[in-house]
Amino acid sequence: MKRELLLLCILCIGFALFAGCTDQKTATDELKIGVVASMTGPASTTGKDIWQSAVLAAEEINADGGVYVADLGKKVPIRLIQGDDESTREGGMKAVSRLITQDNVDLLVGGFSSAVVSAHQSIVAENKVPYIIGGGSSSAVSRRTDIDTSYMFFHRPNTEDSAEIIVLFIDRVMRPDINQKFGFSENRPLRLAVLYQDTSYGTGQRNAVHDYIKKYNLNITVVSEASFNMGESDFRTALTSIKSANPDAVYTVTFLNELIPLVQQGRRDVGMNTIFFAIEPNDDPDFYRGVGTYGEYMMIQSRFSPYAAPKETRDAHTAFVKNFEKRWGGFPGMMGVVTYETVYAGAEAVENAGSIDKAAIRDALDKLEIPEMIEVMKNGKIAFSEEFRESKFELYMAQLIWDQGAGETRPVIVWPDSLKEAGFILPDWYRPGQD
Amino acid sequence: MAGVDVVLQVLIWGLYAGCIYILLATGLNLIFGVMKVVNFAHGELLMLGAYITFTFYALSGWNPYVLLGASVPLLIIVGIIIERLCFRPILGTGKLNEIFISIGLIYIVQNAAAIVWTDEWRIIHSPYERITISVFGVNMPLDYLIIIITTALILIGLHLFLRRTRIGKAMRATSQNRNGAMLMGINVERMDMLSFGIGAGFAGAAGTLWVVSGQVFNPYMGSIPAIKAFAIVILGGLGSIPGAIIGGLVYGIAENFAIFTLGGAWKDAISFIILILVLIVRPTGLFGESAE
Repeated sequence: MKRELLLLCILCIGFALFAGCTDQKTATDELKIGVVASMTGPASTTGKDIWQSAVLAAEEINADGGVYVADLGKKVPIRLIQGDDESTREGGMKAVSRLITQDNVDLLVGGFSSAVVSAHQSIVAENKVPYIIGGGSSSAVSRRTDIDTSYMFFHRPNTEDSAEIIVLFIDRVMRPDINQKFGFSENRPLRLAVLYQDTSYGTGQRNAVHDYIKKYNLNITVVSEASFNMGESDFRTALTSIKSANPDAVYTVTFLNELIPLVQQGRRDVGMNTIFFAIEPNDDPDFYRGVGTYGEYMMIQSRFSPYAAPKETRDAHTAFVKNFEKRWGGFPGMMGVVTYETVYAGAEAVENAGSIDKAAIRDALDKLEIPEMIEVMKNGKIAFSEEFRESKFELYMAQLIWDQGAGETRPVIVWPDSLKEAGFILPDWYRPGQD
Repeated sequence: MAGVDVVLQVLIWGLYAGCIYILLATGLNLIFGVMKVVNFAHGELLMLGAYITFTFYALSGWNPYVLLGASVPLLIIVGIIIERLCFRPILGTGKLNEIFISIGLIYIVQNAAAIVWTDEWRIIHSPYERITISVFGVNMPLDYLIIIITTALILIGLHLFLRRTRIGKAMRATSQNRNGAMLMGINVERMDMLSFGIGAGFAGAAGTLWVVSGQVFNPYMGSIPAIKAFAIVILGGLGSIPGAIIGGLVYGIAENFAIFTLGGAWKDAISFIILILVLIVRPTGLFGESAE
């Protein structure tokens, strides 16, 4: 009896091992892409968006047969592997280590917060795995020199790009409008206040505002600056301080959860009849729903909006939104669309490399040049710059106009002229600052 | 805006922030005073209060202030359940057990809330959000005045309950001397259950007031207010209700003046600077008793 039992056990273990061997695909049967996303923790809404968009792209590519790898002489499917960074630096390091050393991914995509990305960059650098990063907007992440970033590619506007567009809009459009409407001298400088998140992302934006004012010799004076801790929800005192400096406009560097209370408290509680400027990651359906009427006439920078699309990519925008909703039953955010594009860019790079060798994929990404997909790109192409491997976006400025039918504000593109849908409006309630 | 007006305005923002802190810290102190248990998951009770208000508001469209009548009783029940299932079995078995139980509760409650309500940021709008009144020449949203008055009424209610009712007196007796209270025939386990329930109810009230003031919330929003509440409890003195009230006000006002004078990065730091200074001068906290 004992001998039979032992034999049965050995057979079971043998079958299990055999089954394991046959189930496991060999490395060349698939393209393994690790998706670094905050699936848990405070940034989990964005993390889910990243993951779901990556899945959508992979399913579309796989439905078309997969990614052709010349070395193998066949198309291989994409297999996505999730790496939850838990919205923390430590979580990101753990997730990326696992994706690289245990899952042996061929390519990494994703990454959101600059702080989280910067923490796991050294692991990517040491292991030389190609990584297309859709977040980590701080230039301190893409332009660092303490590690080898040659395997990292950045498909997002950096803090400088973002600041440049806003200060140029303020100087070229808003300042002349104010001076004309209120009978000020043409040379009156615009009084700008900056309210920024006290992180490398926020301080990077603040510094970039100063740098571009200086670089272009813009007629803008920064009259007040205030910072706040990441995740803050009470801005009343900071806004009271800013209001006392009499600004013409307030440039905010926030995440979505910070922007909604900031604008509400500024307009409602502190009584600021001014124009708030928001940077691009905030263009999200939740923002329009949350900010309500207080968002009316404020300015938002964007590259992918839920409710506005430049004519250049309108069809692709509509198709992506429709497919996303069909697959996941919701609306994709900006990090979603960028991840969707990075999966396609990664697949294209593998096809161009003709191999899943990591160095070959890296070289192919270096030379990558594909037509813009959903977000409008400079020169109509997704390509990475030579120096810091950053793609260049055509950012635009939209103004929020009340939509009676929707019961919310909706963005209308007002700048640059090439994408413009309507002119910028200074509302009747607007009051300029006083010298 | 003249300088004095700005200072008054900042003082008003500080008073409002102080109200939320007071409610949280008072609840926490009530639990500690009676049970000598440190509940690190107290911020999650605030979050539950916010979501209960949100849910009832979405379903009924009622005035969110009225929904204090839903969030407070429901949180009292939640508190009682937590006390019975989680803390009572390990009471007296060592502080480490209490700490790990409450840390575990943080994750369980956060994840459960994320499953039920998703982890998107939420916000609701008070019916009075557009009404502003003038206080000493400074604009003040009506909502803030209501929040300050509501907090004061809740604290008066607690004071009367603890001083005038038989159960309140029994609770105080248990807080002062647990063994003595037992010998006098007080059912101290019932007092534990009640104090945890009332403490959780206070967190529920703080959650409702958080929501009606126009703050955003998600399942992870409770951690930072809870840390502040702990600091306030230590500052005011462990187990001291007046200490929690004074500590909450001091923190609310100090934080806002720190933002105004030193910048937003100092908001959290100033709380702990005050705490360290007070503990150096008075290690038992402002109102703490040396025996504790």
